[in-house]
Amino acid sequence: MKGIVFTEFMEMVESSFGLEVVDEIIEKSNLESEGIYTSIGSYEFNEMVSLITNLSDSVKIDTNTLLHTFGYYLFSSLGKAHPEVIKSYTNPLGLLYSIEDHIHVHVKKLYPDAELPSFKILEKTDHSISMIYSSSRGLYRLAHGLIEKCFEHFNSSAKVSYELLKEDGTEVKFDIVQNG
Amino acid sequence: MDNKEVILLKKALERQKKARIQAEKILESKSHELYNTVHHLKQENSKLQHLLDEKTSELDGAFINIIDPYVVMDLKFNVINMNNSAKDFLGYDHTKEEINLAKMVHKDYVDYTVKSFNFLIEVGTLKNYRAKIILRDTSEKHVQINANMIYDPTGKPIAAQGIIRDISQETEIKHLLAEQKKQQDIIVENSPLGIVLSVDGKIIKANPSFSKLVGYSEKELKILKVSDISATDTSKATQDLMDKMNTGKLDNFTITKQYIRKNGTILHAKTNVSAVKNFKGEVEFQVAMIEDISKELEAEEQLKASENRLSTLILNLQTGVLLEDEHRKIALTNQLFCDLFQISASPEELIGADCAISAEQSKEYFKDPEAFVKRIDEVLGNQKMVVGDELEMLDGRILERDYIPIFNNGRYTGHLWTYQDVTLRRNYKRTLEAQREKYSSIIANMNLGLIEVDNDDVVQMVNHSFCQMSGYTEKELLGQKAVDIIKPLDNKIVHEKNQKRLKGHSDSYEVKIAHKNGELRHWLISGAPRYNESGAVVGSIGIHLDITEQKHLQLQKEQLLKELESSNRGLQEYAHIVSHDLKSPLRSISALASWVKEDYHEILDINGQNQLQMMQEKIEGMDKLIDGILNYSSINSQNLENEMVDLNSVIHEIREIIFIPEHVNVVIMNTLPVLNSDRTKMHQLFQNLISNAVMHIPKKEGLVKVSSEETNTHWQFSIEDNGIGIPKEYHEKIFKIFQSIGEGERSTGIGLSIVKKIVDLYEGDIWLESEENKGTTFYFTLKKNL
Repeated sequence: MKGIVFTEFMEMVESSFGLEVVDEIIEKSNLESEGIYTSIGSYEFNEMVSLITNLSDSVKIDTNTLLHTFGYYLFSSLGKAHPEVIKSYTNPLGLLYSIEDHIHVHVKKLYPDAELPSFKILEKTDHSISMIYSSSRGLYRLAHGLIEKCFEHFNSSAKVSYELLKEDGTEVKFDIVQNG
Repeated sequence: MDNKEVILLKKALERQKKARIQAEKILESKSHELYNTVHHLKQENSKLQHLLDEKTSELDGAFINIIDPYVVMDLKFNVINMNNSAKDFLGYDHTKEEINLAKMVHKDYVDYTVKSFNFLIEVGTLKNYRAKIILRDTSEKHVQINANMIYDPTGKPIAAQGIIRDISQETEIKHLLAEQKKQQDIIVENSPLGIVLSVDGKIIKANPSFSKLVGYSEKELKILKVSDISATDTSKATQDLMDKMNTGKLDNFTITKQYIRKNGTILHAKTNVSAVKNFKGEVEFQVAMIEDISKELEAEEQLKASENRLSTLILNLQTGVLLEDEHRKIALTNQLFCDLFQISASPEELIGADCAISAEQSKEYFKDPEAFVKRIDEVLGNQKMVVGDELEMLDGRILERDYIPIFNNGRYTGHLWTYQDVTLRRNYKRTLEAQREKYSSIIANMNLGLIEVDNDDVVQMVNHSFCQMSGYTEKELLGQKAVDIIKPLDNKIVHEKNQKRLKGHSDSYEVKIAHKNGELRHWLISGAPRYNESGAVVGSIGIHLDITEQKHLQLQKEQLLKELESSNRGLQEYAHIVSHDLKSPLRSISALASWVKEDYHEILDINGQNQLQMMQEKIEGMDKLIDGILNYSSINSQNLENEMVDLNSVIHEIREIIFIPEHVNVVIMNTLPVLNSDRTKMHQLFQNLISNAVMHIPKKEGLVKVSSEETNTHWQFSIEDNGIGIPKEYHEKIFKIFQSIGEGERSTGIGLSIVKKIVDLYEGDIWLESEENKGTTFYFTLKKNL
């Protein structure tokens, strides 16, 4: 898993719950990396799982909610890191429509080894889009947060509903209808 | 900053340092890798250039021959190469003319195309570019293009190649489908029918109409089952049908069922359920259309009720009804018809019976059976309405029959017979005539004169008595103006009364009439207006009574009364005059007698003196008698001066004035009333009775009791003594004037007459109870509120 996800996750934990919690979950998680992350590196997905699980234990918030919140945080961070990507879009639906064909292509250019989830577009209209998220990581709640924050970024909002096509969340159908 | 925090920060800083070192390492190794890769690529590139040159022509051929249109263009959209398929599709040939693809793009897609092209340049590939283009023949096509960039050996983009797919049809279908879906949605959303989609009885979708019908929101409905909102008595029937549908035996059914609304009320609805099957023929879901039929049910019930009312009405009609169709079969009849013709079957059982046959059967009930049948045939033949045919039956009843043919749009469809028993009405008419005759003879023979005139006073009718009274014959009177012949002395009053008659007033009045023989007669006339059937005044009826005799008697009586009054007055005056004239010589005699007694006292012997004494006493008695007569004659109602009189004080005064022997006591037993009366008369009344009572008590202790008691109309008084009593034979006599039983010189015999007269004035009564040597009680009453 890409280092930026870890570094941003740690940032979020630090800003939301404080340095003590950061230290606590690193200590508890017994990590191979010892909690040392750089955005350009890649780390085991298991470490993320441990970190989130421990965070959930520590702050008594379920992991799905944490992931959803992290989605909001991550969108902003990624936006700050690569503002030119977002600027090339005028509306959130256009951005979502291009994840696979544009954004992920760019990511692959920088990080050929990145393991990216796929977003298969099923249907797109002027006000709605439906797509299937698939990833062995099953982080659909993270995707959910990212999608919602995306609309927020464009000063818009949408009704985002999802349906688990596979129980473990590795394949999830998102139905997004822009409001207004 | 506490120690713990310092430790934490130190640890975090350590991690950050390590992360930086890690990142630097990664970057160093990446740089190395890059260097190696670049070096390697340079070698490979030149190798590839050779390969490419060789392969290009091969590839060209391959592309040229692929089925889908294939186009290569430069960065300014000019076509460099294209295959045959592209030439066919686009209608252009790059070998013959210059083609710029940008110009073919529909104007709506220009922006999108620019963006896509930029993307292509940036990324190198473009997938799913979809746009509308205009072909040479000006037709529009939707195309999908997948393209990638072609770079020169230095990596500079020089051209783009793409494969075009015609997706016009696909787009159209998609469009069409979307349109249809939208339409369908609109229909479902706005349908006045409730529409419900269900799977295994679970509600998947319901439209707003249904929500409204049952009162649940769509959200609430989604968690309900169809059975949850069905009334139990219908859900069983529904279940049977649903089972059949689920097993494939039934595709569609319609039932009327009841739903339970959210508020608990019942919804009557026609429900049409259709099964929607998938391609395997399995029932995927059911679509139900629900129509609210509460109103229809209500209307139906109302219709039924009004039909019922109508048939009840016909059944109970006081007319026998027989409705026949065009084949003379009974369509409707009622109980009264059966009763009239003594048919034992019920009206329902008669429906469908042939009337031609029944007419033959019932004819025997009629006086003229053949005429009955003949008349029916005649009426039926004419098919014209007949009203009021009269049929006489053997048993004496008379029926009235109406015939009404029934036409529907000008076509004869049957007819209606109605029979009415008019026997009673006929009989009533006859009785009425008999009554009239009876009264006519009464009128003709009664002693009162009767005359009927119209509004112009022309005589219409007179009776025998009137002719006798007036002296004119009926012939002389009929058709003449009544006032011209019967000449009232005062024409005005008759005219006045006739005017009153026109306004509907009736009254009685007297007129003087000249009899034919010239004699003056007095008539009492009672007049009343005469009305016709519609209530308008058409004249008047006068009843006349000859009161000439009574009139004469009355006049005589009035005359007598007048004479009586004047003679009474004369008598009264006479009594006064006589009394006064008698009194003065009496006083002279009394004076002379006393002078004789004084002057000749010594000359007269005892006998002479006694006789003089007796003369004085007789004079005194005579004086009293004259006073009494004066009193008596002055008592009449005209000179009463009524005021409030306290009888107790009256009794006190009397006790002061009159002579009461020493052994006698006069006692008031109870408080006497205060009466509105003439004080002097009350005084006379009580004084006469009390002085009588105290006089005749030989007992040692005399007692006179005065008491009163109240009755509804009168005051009753009693004066009781314990004196010698009055013998029975005198009880009536004593109230007559100049009657006295006492031998005493003081008794004039006029006192009780005065008492009686006063009691009479006050509309009272007087009587007495007496027992000799025990006492006498006088009772008298005086009317209250006189």
